[in-house]
Amino acid sequence: MLKTEELQVNIGPQHPSTHGVFRMLVTVDGETLVDLKPVFGYLHRNHEQLGEVNSYLQNMPFTDRLDYFNSMVNNHAYARAVEQLAGIEVPERAQYIRVIMDELSRILNHASALGFLLGDMGAWQTSLLWGLREREKILDLFEYVSGARMMCNYSRFGGVARDIDDYFISEVKKLMQGLPRYFDEFERLLVENEILLVRAKGVGVLPKELALSYSVTGPLLRGSGVPYDVRKAEPYAVYDRFDFDIPVGTVGDVYDRFLVRVEEMRQSYRILEQALQQMPEAEGGHINPKVKQQSLKPPVGESYARVESPKGELGFYLVSDGSGSAYRYKVRAPSFINLSALADMCKGYKIADVVVILGSIDIVMGEVDR
Amino acid sequence: MTLSTRKGTVNIVEVNRHDNNIHAGQGTLKGLDIVFRKFRKALFGKANTERDDTEGQFNVQYPEERLVLAEAYRNMPILLYDDATGQELCTSCFQCERVCPPQVIHITQAKHPETGKPVPAAAEFVLEYDTCMSCGYCAEVCPFDAIKMDHDFELSTADHPALDVHYTHLLRPVSYYEAIAPTMWAEVRDAALKKLQNNIKRRPGNIGVDHGQKIAGKSSAAAPKAATPAAGAAGRKQYTGPIAKVGTSMSEDKLARLMAIREANTGKRGGPPESGAHAIEADVATNAAGQVAPSDQATSGSAASKATGPVAAPGKNMSEDKLARLMAIREANKAKQGE
Repeated sequence: MLKTEELQVNIGPQHPSTHGVFRMLVTVDGETLVDLKPVFGYLHRNHEQLGEVNSYLQNMPFTDRLDYFNSMVNNHAYARAVEQLAGIEVPERAQYIRVIMDELSRILNHASALGFLLGDMGAWQTSLLWGLREREKILDLFEYVSGARMMCNYSRFGGVARDIDDYFISEVKKLMQGLPRYFDEFERLLVENEILLVRAKGVGVLPKELALSYSVTGPLLRGSGVPYDVRKAEPYAVYDRFDFDIPVGTVGDVYDRFLVRVEEMRQSYRILEQALQQMPEAEGGHINPKVKQQSLKPPVGESYARVESPKGELGFYLVSDGSGSAYRYKVRAPSFINLSALADMCKGYKIADVVVILGSIDIVMGEVDR
Repeated sequence: MTLSTRKGTVNIVEVNRHDNNIHAGQGTLKGLDIVFRKFRKALFGKANTERDDTEGQFNVQYPEERLVLAEAYRNMPILLYDDATGQELCTSCFQCERVCPPQVIHITQAKHPETGKPVPAAAEFVLEYDTCMSCGYCAEVCPFDAIKMDHDFELSTADHPALDVHYTHLLRPVSYYEAIAPTMWAEVRDAALKKLQNNIKRRPGNIGVDHGQKIAGKSSAAAPKAATPAAGAAGRKQYTGPIAKVGTSMSEDKLARLMAIREANTGKRGGPPESGAHAIEADVATNAAGQVAPSDQATSGSAASKATGPVAAPGKNMSEDKLARLMAIREANKAKQGE
């Protein structure tokens, strides 16, 4: 009887398909994957400790650097945690602005995540640029309103840094005119593509029970068939005023996650439409003028605020001892927790599938390592 | 499918997995159809003139052509001084030093030369450009509107120590900031200049004007009592900005061209009066044409914006000979297309 020998291979940390500095120590038997050990920490930069030294406001730009695709969402989540801690009221208009930015972020993130996923499958540049093209337009809008493309630093406690003007709204509407056609084309171009079907169907299956036990969130969990979305489970900001659906998958493989993301972009478009329609009637300005931004000293207590980031449930936990900086600061990063399910998703598949499965989780190493 | 929860009902849609469709290369063909249509449009369709066009590409020939940056765009802080008097707006109140998240601002307060009491002006202001993350808090908190965010993003250098930028190189005239962010400056101008007038009264001698700033109209006489003539001149000559030393590994003519560009840039940042004022005026003109204010967008502005598009008029940040070369290239292309 012939016996095969297992072999250990490092994928990464310097590898274009690992989405940053991330190493996978895989044990393979032939081409079949036997074991996988994710190794990370290469991008560790002491984010949580910094948050305990800095003042509350000073920490805001550092949250940009967590999930650098969606700095708007990170700012929103952190601002919500501090607002909850200090009991700050946020004007309605500011809530709408935040929702618009969040949903633009979601479209941006999913478009580029799908582009990267297809790039991992070997569809060299076309699909990636298909995603990045749309992302670029949204980043231009972010630059216009916040001053920076990616490191937006846009939220403040009790609102946002700058109000949006008519020009911005007209630009968003102009962008949205093109979006439905973009989604249609995206689906037509790729959803039934045979190469995608072969690479994605039945690959990297994450059963519902396993997904729940790993407490994964976001499109990964919804792809496994659990209709959990923080926007519906615990409506924050003004999300309870919008009518939108939660897309879920049935099998929980890479293809389901792909489809869930495509559908989520459409749902984000619906939310944007409603938000733009409702916003003119919203009360208040873009920020609560009573809040002392720089010398904020929340009362003793703790708070946990979560939002549905495009990658999953993003939560910020803060403990205040009454001083100007947090006593304890913790980030529940969706990428990190979703990544913990990677080994179980990969076992038994071919080594070439590992890259695809990792791409379908949609991680950002800035958030995993913090 | 709907799900009832405590928070209301939730609509759930199951995604369509296309399990029943027949696949014999049809899906790929469908996709290729899209690609082919895009390809055809790129070849035979009308050319794109607006950046908003979703079909095909829209190229900006950087660095000769540039997109107009949004007014709110922020990249690295600068300090302002009044054009007419050369008085710095900064009073060294330390607000920005305190709020700066990476702690890269270092201010030394000016002291009265006789009594030794603090004076509302900064003696030295150092900013570590290499660690600054352009969050914009310093500009946000500044009660005197002295520190603002620049639009200059071409800062790459091989000279790392030069990235500790000192007061002399941080200073820009108010008219420079007005040119890059007209509406944002208009909002704060009156209050800022009024506060400046109050502060000037409390500044003895040439404190607040002794960092080598150039004043339009009068060249060196503007700083009436420079500490020593040599110091004033040195401050002016040393101006290199956060740019590397040049000429070490360059051919002669390349160096000459670079120097011409540098000179033009220095002029733009408040260099010699004649060229400086000229460059700034040109800036204001291009901004007015290219960067349409939101309110005019619908009416009169749209025609102007059509004419220039979202691209800055060429020649904005260009040396003379570079502009001439670009124009020559354009002419040649036009002639080629005409044939």
